Amino acid sequence: MIESLKANTVLSVRDLNVKFYTYAGIVHAVSGVSFDVYEGEIVSLVGETGCGKTVTTRAITRLIEPPGRIVGGSALFRRRNGSVVDLLKIPDEELRRIRGDEVAYVFQDPTSALDPLYSVAHHIAETVRAHYKGAGKKELIGLGVKLLKQVLIPHPEARIKNFPHELSGGMRQRVVIATAIANKPRLLIADEPTTNLDVTVQAQILDLIKDLQREYGVSVILITHNLGIVAEVSDRVYVMYGGKIVEHAGVEELFEKPMHPYTQALLRAVPNPLKRIEKLESIPGTVPNLIDPPPGCRFRPRCPRAMDVCGRRDPPFIEVEPGHHVACWLYAMG
Amino acid sequence: MPDFVYKALVKVIDLYTRIRDRVNPEWSIRNSPRIREWKLMAYTYSRSPIGLVGGSLVLLFAIIAIIGPALAWQPYWEYKVVENPDLWLSPPCFPPSCSGFPLLGTDEWGRDVFAMIFYGVRISFVISLLIVLIGAPVGIVLGLVAGYKGGVVDEILMRITDMFVAFPGLVLAIAFATVLPQRIRGLLEANVQLRDFLLFLFGLRPEEYGQLASLLSVLLALVIVWWPIYARTVRGSVLSIREQVFVEAARSIGLSTWKILVRHILPNVLSPIIVMMTFDLATAALLSASLSFLGLGPQDPVPELGFMISKAGQYFPERSWHIVVFDGIVLLLIAFGWNLLGDSLRDVLDPKTRRSIEVRLRAKKAGKGGKSD
Amino acid sequence: MGLLRFLGRRMLTFIPTIIGVLFITYIIAYLIPTDPVRAWVGGEKLLNPEALEQVRIKYKFNEPWYIQFSFLVSQLFSGQLEDPIRHRLVVQELGTKFPVTVEVAIFGFLFTVAIGLPLGIIAALKKDTLVDFFVRFFALFGSSMPSFVLYYFLILALFVYTQTTYLAGVPLPSDACTTMIAGLPTSIPVLGHIAFYIGQIPMFGAAFCGEWSVVVETFKRFYLPGLALGMLSGGFIARITRNSLLDALSSEYILFAKARGLPKLWIWRHALKNTLVPIITILGLQFGGLLTGSIIAETVFNIPGMGRYIYESIMRLNFPAIIAGTLLFAIIYVTVNLIVDILYAAIDPRVRY
Repeated sequence: MIESLKANTVLSVRDLNVKFYTYAGIVHAVSGVSFDVYEGEIVSLVGETGCGKTVTTRAITRLIEPPGRIVGGSALFRRRNGSVVDLLKIPDEELRRIRGDEVAYVFQDPTSALDPLYSVAHHIAETVRAHYKGAGKKELIGLGVKLLKQVLIPHPEARIKNFPHELSGGMRQRVVIATAIANKPRLLIADEPTTNLDVTVQAQILDLIKDLQREYGVSVILITHNLGIVAEVSDRVYVMYGGKIVEHAGVEELFEKPMHPYTQALLRAVPNPLKRIEKLESIPGTVPNLIDPPPGCRFRPRCPRAMDVCGRRDPPFIEVEPGHHVACWLYAMG
Repeated sequence: MPDFVYKALVKVIDLYTRIRDRVNPEWSIRNSPRIREWKLMAYTYSRSPIGLVGGSLVLLFAIIAIIGPALAWQPYWEYKVVENPDLWLSPPCFPPSCSGFPLLGTDEWGRDVFAMIFYGVRISFVISLLIVLIGAPVGIVLGLVAGYKGGVVDEILMRITDMFVAFPGLVLAIAFATVLPQRIRGLLEANVQLRDFLLFLFGLRPEEYGQLASLLSVLLALVIVWWPIYARTVRGSVLSIREQVFVEAARSIGLSTWKILVRHILPNVLSPIIVMMTFDLATAALLSASLSFLGLGPQDPVPELGFMISKAGQYFPERSWHIVVFDGIVLLLIAFGWNLLGDSLRDVLDPKTRRSIEVRLRAKKAGKGGKSD
Repeated sequence: MGLLRFLGRRMLTFIPTIIGVLFITYIIAYLIPTDPVRAWVGGEKLLNPEALEQVRIKYKFNEPWYIQFSFLVSQLFSGQLEDPIRHRLVVQELGTKFPVTVEVAIFGFLFTVAIGLPLGIIAALKKDTLVDFFVRFFALFGSSMPSFVLYYFLILALFVYTQTTYLAGVPLPSDACTTMIAGLPTSIPVLGHIAFYIGQIPMFGAAFCGEWSVVVETFKRFYLPGLALGMLSGGFIARITRNSLLDALSSEYILFAKARGLPKLWIWRHALKNTLVPIITILGLQFGGLLTGSIIAETVFNIPGMGRYIYESIMRLNFPAIIAGTLLFAIIYVTVNLIVDILYAAIDPRVRY
């Protein structure tokens, strides 16, 4: 198979579909999602809880457990050696070598992501040894200490011997980040890396991610529902709603000129870091039920500007301005 | 079958609400969420094959237990072998190839094994029910008190419980079963009405009141080893909900301790207890049979299943395999019925499983006529 | 350091439990309306009031209850208590019965684990399939089976029809071997004592001396009760294993381990180690239960172990034996709990001493 990928692109996801086959019915968790990640940039994936951000990123390396299933799409990835592979189609063993080495994850909840029965040293060491067999024990401990220092953990020599329950939430999150960057990945997927942390620690972790990106040229997918973080660190933003991408733009463009009614509502619901508005508003209605969703735009029930056509057909994802895409009939009619 | 069971259970629930309404007008309106929950439970149960099989077995043996002794075509106290020596441990005799002998063979007194099973089921069923229905409430009350009161009361009650748990249950039961009969016998002699009632309960004739004493000592012995586990479980659950807001609220409006325990705490710890009791009915049936098997229960002529099997052991396997097999299977099925029922009740009483089934049900209704993916 | 303090504290809480157990036993014995001495003394001596009186004085039956009780307990702990029926020291009696029970318990435990763990793992892997349903069914079936009925069936299949086992006696090491083991504590300082106690279990004693035929015979003799005990509790262990493994497999740390690209085998190690944590407690309690001897199994399979000794002692109101037996049981219960706690702490770093 010939895979083509633009020169500066690390990852290109096309038409990704993930469904969960539950007792209650089929959940269309991710429907036709496409996006790109370029070399050395930070891309944010924004949306409310349950909109499919986490599932999307996990599906990239097929980390979807039953009853979930990836039912379609492709995820082209440029490996370190320059070859391009479709992560959704390569054999399991090849995928395993990429996971944790070239594509690394920072999971949302650091408490449950670390195995309580193993020490920090073990977590870091096994992540390295899974990909680089020759590593000796002493080297690995040394590397572990270096990594912990890098993620700003005080007394790394002592901390490395600790077990997860002996660390605070912020420490655990940093350990998770340390294991993720242990092999200097090309793509780091950080899933709400700061949600469970104090504000001061949040800032430190974000700085850390930015530093990593600058230092190693790592590309980062940052999942968050916090628009403040988006504005602070990311280059481009994808907005997700109900398992679909509804808007894509550069970060300043998006905050200046949000187009999709959902994005606009989202920006009104939080203090906008780039604009001053008087009053915060909440978005009426609730997150949509993704079990057998009706056709048409999924935001329609909550949309203040819904039209007839919205309930009948899916809005197309069109480029309204250069580098600014939106899926909304308001802009597609013209 | 599932639909039939569901409809039958809904009818029972409706009947119950109507009775409550009669006594206490508008009861059903005030309690409509609860009634809805019951119906959902009935639905969940009716969709569980394990539960349906278990329920059928329990129902079958309950019916046999109730009408069995009246139905048994041979009284247990008649030793047929005296008239006809061929009836001594005669093997099973299935009609086309064999006739003139009882279907499932006879025991060493020439009694029809099949007919004796009817008595045996009654005894087994009644004794296991009594063990659990006496032992569990004792444990529940002690657990409620220990958990709610805390402090010294809790400490003392739990130390005592510990001792009983540290004791091997069967050894304790054996000790009691050897000690108790004489005392109980005296009690029964003094109290004729109680004696006759209990004899009727076990399906025995008045002559057997001596055996009744051994039967009751097995019962009491098992009750004594039974309560601690309930005390522990209930205490654990009470500790976890004692500090919750609704209990605090009940306390702050000045409800009495007893009322709080019974009205507000007990219902919240009841589900696991009901499941446990169902499983324990199986264990009680097996353990009481085990004690009889060891010769601690009633003796001849009472056809208790464990005792019958133990006697058959002497001639095993040549002459008596049929007694071990048939009585064994009956005992197995009694316990199996309760165990299956308990296993499905665990699902039925678990709000999480119930919810997922409800969601599925609703999705099905909503999806009617829609596309099926 | 932490471990020692933990052990010390646990030991202290055990003392009231053990004293309480002894006291309950004594009260039950004391409540018996019949004269135990008459049950002990057999034959013509029964007609001789002096002989009866002698026994009564020997066991202080003429004294108040607290003297009786303290006499029993002090005799018991100094090892001087005599079995009034067999006229041997109770310690000696237990010394011959308990090792047999230990052998049966080991076989029973091995079969329980060998049946329970694989079935549980398979059921978890094949969750919600026919295999899973079968394991669930088997577990419920196992706990519904009257033990004695199962024993008879197994005897029928493996003794009567296939003759692969036998139902009499206990294979013992040779006399030379026994004397050698008896001399161990004096010849080797500390290890000798440990080896001596382990050597009291016939199978291990024979293994020390290299008498492998005795070990093989022991297997032939005891695999059947072991299998029976394993079949009764294996299903239960399978259920626990299944649920515990499913919990572990669906956890985030397993997914994170996959996301870090760990090989399959390593991921399994994470899952299985976490599965083991709750199972250890239950297996420990099961083993403790087996060590007290299954009365019914020992009766049906004709095994001269603890269960039957205690049972016979109760039937003959043999108080010294009963009290000694219950003490042993209580100690086993307490020790097993302690070992489970220690294992737990060894495997799970979250548990603190």
